[in-house]
Amino acid sequence: MNLTQQLINGLVLGHAYALIAIGWTVLLGVARLVNFGHGQMYMLGAFMTWYLVSRLGLPYLVAIPVAMLAGVAVGYVMQRVMLRLTLAQDLVSIMIVTLGFGYVLHGAAGLVFGSTGQILETPLSTRDIYWGDLWFTWQDIAIVLVAIAFFAVLKYVIENTGVGRTARMVAEDPALSLLAGIDVKKVYLAVFAFEGAAVALAAALVAPRTPILTSMGFDEVIITFVVVVLGGIGSVTGSYVAGIVLGLFTAFFGALVSPAYATAAAFGVLIAVLVLRPGGLAVAPGGR
Amino acid sequence: MSSALKWPAAAILAVAGFFAPVLLGGSPAVYAALVLIAIFAVMSYGLDSIVSDLGEVSLAHTVFFALGAYVTALLSVRLEFNPLGTLAGTIVAALIAAGLLGLITLRLREFVFSLVTYAVAVVALTVASNWEFIGGSDGLRGIPAFEIGWLGFRAVGDVELWPVAFLLLLATLYLMRAFRRSRLGQAAIMVHLNPRLATMSGIDPQRTRVQVFLFSAPITAAAGWLYAYQRAYVSADLLETYFLILMLTAVVVIGRRLLLGPLIGVALILAQEKFWSFGGYVDRIILGSLLILVLAYLPGGLFGLVQTLAEARRRVAARSRSTSPHTTARKADA
Repeated sequence: MNLTQQLINGLVLGHAYALIAIGWTVLLGVARLVNFGHGQMYMLGAFMTWYLVSRLGLPYLVAIPVAMLAGVAVGYVMQRVMLRLTLAQDLVSIMIVTLGFGYVLHGAAGLVFGSTGQILETPLSTRDIYWGDLWFTWQDIAIVLVAIAFFAVLKYVIENTGVGRTARMVAEDPALSLLAGIDVKKVYLAVFAFEGAAVALAAALVAPRTPILTSMGFDEVIITFVVVVLGGIGSVTGSYVAGIVLGLFTAFFGALVSPAYATAAAFGVLIAVLVLRPGGLAVAPGGR
Repeated sequence: MSSALKWPAAAILAVAGFFAPVLLGGSPAVYAALVLIAIFAVMSYGLDSIVSDLGEVSLAHTVFFALGAYVTALLSVRLEFNPLGTLAGTIVAALIAAGLLGLITLRLREFVFSLVTYAVAVVALTVASNWEFIGGSDGLRGIPAFEIGWLGFRAVGDVELWPVAFLLLLATLYLMRAFRRSRLGQAAIMVHLNPRLATMSGIDPQRTRVQVFLFSAPITAAAGWLYAYQRAYVSADLLETYFLILMLTAVVVIGRRLLLGPLIGVALILAQEKFWSFGGYVDRIILGSLLILVLAYLPGGLFGLVQTLAEARRRVAARSRSTSPHTTARKADA
């Protein structure tokens, strides 16, 4: 085993995980909402990008924003349908509804894109970089850079701007925010639209690393869970760190033990953490 | 209905239920569909006690279902256990699994609880598709026919399996009814609706949760037990989201905490899939949309909708009755 190569794999994978989990982090940390259809939204983003690039021949850089717009639409429709549940803070029903949405998205994607696996090729993923005996692609570099930039901007927006303050206020106390004249419904819709866009962006960047299937959402979502919970539910910095730790863990576990059980092992870590510290690894759960 | 009338009514319903396949034409397709409805209804009742009574969403019930099927397959193929032996093994395995999961998730609530149960389901799927001991991605084949030698009972097809499926369903309905009237059932609903009051009344919420889990898991696992015989093979597809969505939809579609709710829910869903199917993908969209629409727009389920409509009709009728003499009187005045 080449240690440095695994380190690079782990770092790339870690940034990919963090990027995939960003929508959930905001949902949970900023609006106290959950989305069990997250994995299927990732799948949809990947297939939208694939369709736009390889079937319609659009440039990759044009396909990404279009896929993100589709993500916004899906997120908006989801939240529009369950707005009553959100306003009532009925988390149990929200979980089941989002699970139902994931199921519908899977069916719809199967209908449109078929059940065969596809490869999403981008101008970046096909260009390799060899550095001594190390190997990675330009796509990997793009993932790392976009993840870092996205997290930095997100942290800034949540902590230092009016938009971030409004969203945080709604999360803390929806009723009080309503009294303060904030359109709570609009904030919830916006947060879900953001989740849709963020996961589509992550899919457009990360999906070229592996073959894509309409059934893949089921696996993707567990990584997100682990990142979000380990990162200390809803903490932006925590998610970033947890993503990278999980990426390194998966890379080394896959190389040293077995790649087939890497997800299962990641889950084992999650269980251990939850039993020891139900609030996750962050010093102050929910802190930013 | 008074309790004196309830038992005969239930008995009549049970007898009618037993002859349901004959009443529906008695074709092999009808038997096949009804056996599946009974099995999946039993599967859903296990989840029902968690979702409707305890008020949590367990996404790990597909694991109990698959566990029952896998234990049955292993014991019957490798050790040649008869169905009663495999049922006992299934129940023991489900109790152990539920105890473990219950302890792990003891302090977790709401979405973190659901998240962990969902993760358990995902991991179980990974393990089932990769572990050679339980057949890996091929699964286990060659499960023998459902045969209890000393009773002289042997079921080779759905027609012969129907009495077993129906008995299992009846037993489950009885257990669910007894559970809701038991101290545990009452405690569960109190923990769900008012945890503080529950604690003040001397109920330990964590203990109650584990106990409800221990009650619920063997029921769902027993459905897996019979499903293994019905299909004659088991594989990792038992852990797919389909079963989870089916269970959840069945539990909420008619209305929560209605004894026959999950059964009617499963019957509706399977009737659509078996007799009015539009192909796998469209059926998925239908099932998922049903789940979404009921939860988002019909908090009381279809039964709640019917009640609301009946109530509205009664009110309209009452209003027209109370206004009509009035108007005629006024006309007379004029």
